[in-house]
Amino acid sequence: MTHSDHYIRVTGLDVSYDGFTPAVTDLNMDVAEGEFVAVLGPSGCGKSTLLHAISGVVPPQSGTIEIAGRPVGSGRGDGSVPIGYVLQEHRLLPWRTVAQNIAIVLRAAGVPDDEVDLRIDRYLNMLHISKFRDTWPLRLSGGQRQRVSIARALAVEPAVVLMDEPFSTLDEVTARVMRQQLAELWEESSQTIVFVTHSIREALFLAGRIFILTQGPARVFDTIEVPVSRPRRYEDPRLTELEAQIVEHVMDEWGYGATAGEDAQR
Amino acid sequence: MTTEQVAPLRQITGGRLQRVQAFAVASLLALAVWQLATLISGGWVPSLWRIMTALGEDATTANIYAEMWITLRRIFITFAAATAIGIGLGVAMGLNRRVMAFFRPIVVMGLAVPDVVYIIVAILVLGTEESSGLIAMVLALIPFVINIVVGGVGARDPGLDEMSAVYRLRRVRYLVDVVGWQVSPALIVATRTCFAFAWKLIVLVEALSQPRGIGAQIYYSFRLLRPDHMIARALLFIVILRLVEAIIFAPVEKKFLGWMQ
Repeated sequence: MTHSDHYIRVTGLDVSYDGFTPAVTDLNMDVAEGEFVAVLGPSGCGKSTLLHAISGVVPPQSGTIEIAGRPVGSGRGDGSVPIGYVLQEHRLLPWRTVAQNIAIVLRAAGVPDDEVDLRIDRYLNMLHISKFRDTWPLRLSGGQRQRVSIARALAVEPAVVLMDEPFSTLDEVTARVMRQQLAELWEESSQTIVFVTHSIREALFLAGRIFILTQGPARVFDTIEVPVSRPRRYEDPRLTELEAQIVEHVMDEWGYGATAGEDAQR
Repeated sequence: MTTEQVAPLRQITGGRLQRVQAFAVASLLALAVWQLATLISGGWVPSLWRIMTALGEDATTANIYAEMWITLRRIFITFAAATAIGIGLGVAMGLNRRVMAFFRPIVVMGLAVPDVVYIIVAILVLGTEESSGLIAMVLALIPFVINIVVGGVGARDPGLDEMSAVYRLRRVRYLVDVVGWQVSPALIVATRTCFAFAWKLIVLVEALSQPRGIGAQIYYSFRLLRPDHMIARALLFIVILRLVEAIIFAPVEKKFLGWMQ
């Protein structure tokens, strides 16, 4: 088995919110290098906590997380690989311009000064927001801010990009355009992406493989390969059919099925 | 203070013309009330004309500016020490639970102690030296600054802390770019409050224990029953302080809060 098949390797992961309440329990997942996977689960099941653990922000209670064969650390100089993270909200510094927001994380990642501007221009161009280079984030729309957030995550040229429901706060039309552009960006860059969502259609449209989590505490309930070739259309009837199958499949596990009702009565 | 809190403030105070009109109306009313008080008090409250005459006399004597300089120097020493220590401790308390647990009861007690007690205790312990008054004032002001700064640091966006952790921002960059700018409205409020209190308290210290300074001059005029000069000297110093505020604080505020607009 090659290293690139297990580019991200999560083994027996247990994470808790406060040391007592489990958020993730005995979770195992492998992601290949250059793969686009989605993590699907009901609201509050522990999806975001899983990403926090993969990024090194939250330490696991037990289990291991490795990226490119190196354990995930929690600080600068800890030897772990660089990670790009796009959160549900843009998390831009409002007192810094778009370019300055990206420059801060590039410098933290150790990018040489003479390369910082080149990278900022390249990724702002890629996300079609180069004209907002010197704009304050408060003057941008929600979609534009999220594009900056994605540009910031990609500009680090990370080993892995983690995305935590990045389009959930956008209006539907903007979100569809952004999903389309993300799919195109991934095809160009072959970046390894872990995309957390509670939208089955979004997961099916973007990912090659979907990890379905249980109702919290999270563990992998099932893994599904998406048998639809790229480029995909959001309205593709095959995606609609798969969506219906997944809904039926997770109904019981997520606590909405007939069995769940019976359990509740008992 | 957040962006949401600053914006409505501007809406409430209105445009420049409205603010000038409001200022003019308020000033005229205050002058009218003062003149009425002069008439009612049978001359104990000096008339506007007497105050203006005293103001003219005091403004043309060189001595008053030397006294002002002494007071200004004391204010700046007190202000700088209290602001630096207060901001440092306030940020540390806001970021670290142990530091907070240690200093919180001290700050609460410090806020409750009347300012005059600091002055009296400092005079009893250190004598009537200039330094004793300054130390007393620094100790009295620090809890105010800490209280405002701790509130600002505590109200910061945890999402930005998360972003800093994800991108492994260095400690200094985190403190400057994330915490510092985020709490800058609170820091500005803290420095302004500290400056305003510093001037009021230093004048009190001078009146109680010092032979020099504007406070001593005001008290001297009071002992000679010359309320017109007492008020004139206070007014002159208020003008100087307003100028200092306009020259130093306004540009700093513009620089640090410009992004909110």
